Amino acid sequence: MGKSIKETLLGTLVHGEEILNEIKVLRETSPDQLTGEDQAAAVLKYHHPKILHLVLTDIYEEGTNGKVFRFSSKTGYLPPFEAGQYLNIFTEIDGVRTSRPYSICSSPRQRAYYEITVARAVQGFVSDYMLDRAKVGDEFEASCPAGVFHYQPVFHSPKMLMLAGGSGITPFLSMVREVTQAGLERDMVLLYGCRNKDAAFFHEELTRMSENFENFRYYLVVSDEDAVWDGARGFITAELIRELAPDYAERTAYICGPEIMNAFCVTQLEELGVPHKNIRREMFGAAKDITKEAGWPEQLTGNEVFKVTVNGERVIEARANETLLCALERSGVRMNVCCRCGECSLCRVQLVSGKVFLSKGMMLRKADEKYGYIHSCKSYPISDISIQL
Amino acid sequence: MNHYDVIVIGAGNGGLAAAATLAEKGKKTILFEKHNIPGGCGTSFRRGRFEFEVALHQLSHMGTPEKPGPLREQFRRYGIEKEIEWIQIEELYRVNFPDGTGISIPVDRAKCIAFLQKEFPAEKESIQRYFDTLYRFVEEAAAFSAKSAQSTGEPGDVKKFFMKKGFPKMYPTLANYGLKSSHEVLEEFFPNNKKLQLALNVYWCFMGMTPERFPWSILAKCTYIYMEDKPYYLRGTSMMMNQAILEAAKRMGCVAQMNCGIDKILVENGKAVGVRDEFGNEYRAKKIISNISPIATYGALMDPKDVPEAARAYLKPYTVGISALTCFIGLDCPPEEIGFNTSFTLNYESLDAIADCKDAYKLLPENDPLIATCYTVDDRQVSPEGTSIITAGTLKYGEAWEKLPPEQYYEMKYEAGRRIVARLEKMYPGFTSHIEEMEVATPLTHMRYLNHPHGAIYGYEQDLRQSVFFFPSESKMEGLEFASGWVNACGFGPNYTYADTVATRVAEEV
Repeated sequence: MGKSIKETLLGTLVHGEEILNEIKVLRETSPDQLTGEDQAAAVLKYHHPKILHLVLTDIYEEGTNGKVFRFSSKTGYLPPFEAGQYLNIFTEIDGVRTSRPYSICSSPRQRAYYEITVARAVQGFVSDYMLDRAKVGDEFEASCPAGVFHYQPVFHSPKMLMLAGGSGITPFLSMVREVTQAGLERDMVLLYGCRNKDAAFFHEELTRMSENFENFRYYLVVSDEDAVWDGARGFITAELIRELAPDYAERTAYICGPEIMNAFCVTQLEELGVPHKNIRREMFGAAKDITKEAGWPEQLTGNEVFKVTVNGERVIEARANETLLCALERSGVRMNVCCRCGECSLCRVQLVSGKVFLSKGMMLRKADEKYGYIHSCKSYPISDISIQL
Repeated sequence: MNHYDVIVIGAGNGGLAAAATLAEKGKKTILFEKHNIPGGCGTSFRRGRFEFEVALHQLSHMGTPEKPGPLREQFRRYGIEKEIEWIQIEELYRVNFPDGTGISIPVDRAKCIAFLQKEFPAEKESIQRYFDTLYRFVEEAAAFSAKSAQSTGEPGDVKKFFMKKGFPKMYPTLANYGLKSSHEVLEEFFPNNKKLQLALNVYWCFMGMTPERFPWSILAKCTYIYMEDKPYYLRGTSMMMNQAILEAAKRMGCVAQMNCGIDKILVENGKAVGVRDEFGNEYRAKKIISNISPIATYGALMDPKDVPEAARAYLKPYTVGISALTCFIGLDCPPEEIGFNTSFTLNYESLDAIADCKDAYKLLPENDPLIATCYTVDDRQVSPEGTSIITAGTLKYGEAWEKLPPEQYYEMKYEAGRRIVARLEKMYPGFTSHIEEMEVATPLTHMRYLNHPHGAIYGYEQDLRQSVFFFPSESKMEGLEFASGWVNACGFGPNYTYADTVATRVAEEV
């Protein structure tokens, strides 16, 4: 067969014949690329598999109000993570598929299992299920560990100031375990705010670690006035931080706890003159009572039920004080989801018409604002709405 | 109900433009994207109070409102030109040399020549000759491709003989320089001036291809296009542009399915006839346009028995290209406070760029050229007042990262970030103390978000035998077409305009 006109003309270019010949030879001798293997997936299954298939292998009580759940992998392999990251665990409860993010509290230095701690919550749909119904041998799907609440060695100080409240202790437990187990050169001060000693999680273990390791100091801060406690009392105030971590200005501060505690700690750090860049905050999930949030429309009690038209086809009902994401999940709409805290944007939907209340902490992109996209995990319908998935 | 004129797989730059053009032409079109957002490479992400651009540095092919380039014309057709705030960039780039000196290139042919002649007086005549040659080359190439577009079918042997004789006479600059490397051409014009070579040869390290294999024609075309059409940025990152295209496509009737990957291309009698999505739903169409790599299109989405032998042979000479290692950094100070005064910089550790290229195969940054962009210089609104956004990185092949044991991944990722920040600290003292947010993206990060083999960001390697005249743009299966950076020039402008061309042709066929 003669050469095509393209080849004929390219052959007249300087180096043309050489290159055409190279291509011809490679076409005969190079390996076949179309092997059917998904090269990216083959590599990523060890780093960031799309979904983890977990088995609940152990449950034990922790404190008076929670349980630790230990998960191993059905395949035997669990990917590495950074201490402080969370898992989004999927469950199907009474026919509703939903999920909740939980910080991993076990150390990243061992990966036979991941552990999470679930605390009893008021009207906790998933926490009640986990605490009362989940049993050893149950299988769960989970997202790969994710989240940006972790030590970042390039610009964080190796001196850490950890401020925890309630079940917000869990990411710090993973960090402290890692640093102490691996002998990392970091200096940690942990202030842990709880109502009383019994409400604290991992108090014994944290106390023991602080006794054994010079680079870890631990203070339980008890807020109940009538509680028996001979340590620090009250809330985590600027004054207390100054007293217990006088070198706070050299530290990167990390806050994880209930929304009110989290916001209060920020004000205290600001009072101390800690710059914005040295304050790292874990995100928080849906508000306990959204009607209390600033800006909530006064005329709504939260119990109103609105119609949500999905993709112009299906109409579901949604209560004003429940996130749009939960309403969609309850109606069986399969949602892409991870953080449920407004951060990751996986549960993003387009608001075509109607009004929603956007809760604090939703990290929208500029394009989202322009074209009406919202994160359903932090959006509450306050009129009949129409959305596009 | 699930019958369409065209199915588009992937909502990257090419997929979005293809879908919008088809919808504009009244074709019943459906677009699938496995991620939750459109854009492919061209998206953004949030950290703290910052929104980071993932990929776009300078948008080409725009032209000014008065003298629109092809991309502006295309966006006008979609009705989105006015939806977006375009920001014209006045300076093409700055090259910083290892001795601390640097050169900023103006975006104007005459000004650029005059400036370089002042900086390099001994090369005055060669600089003029170089730019004359560069312009003549691009114009001859344009004239030739306009002429070939008119011709149909293969000419006979006699005509071929005369064309072969006539071609080098009609297009002498194209014939001489069309298949030379940027190294060869720059050595010809500036044999003893490494600094000037580096100042002009900037796109090799943007494309991640050693000057000895990097086609001069790409360098020439990039230089020409930016000089003539001017580089642009836009308010709201490339995510804004890609969301705008998607919304335009939807307005014009395109069905868009986010969070919905394609598992299978349905093939009947050797022809692509439809797709099956990850939830098991089947869709049929007269044409399928793939915005994903040919490797995944044939390799992962088709039964091995359906893969045409011609496709296997056709793709064999092509090798998967480079990935990137990038730091996305939010500072708690304005750029001038640390002395970052130019938006787009290329920073060399030595004048021997060819020797430095080998570092692209290594895990960690060593002497690799560093590309650093401060978006705040061109757009003060890109982040909150008093802050700035900088992305800095270097191109890296994915293999070394793929071989890394997962246990060591985070340690190496932050070590890479530390080295890049150390380079920036050296140039901009005080830099590190202002970091408020920072994310490091490795080749594995690109792999995770793009799903490309080896985390490639530009598709196949852009060298002399794989790019320009040799892009693997042909489909080897009836009913299937490609529109992506894998099969044509990579980058935003080239991808949008190429996809528009493909979609326009497909629209006539269905």
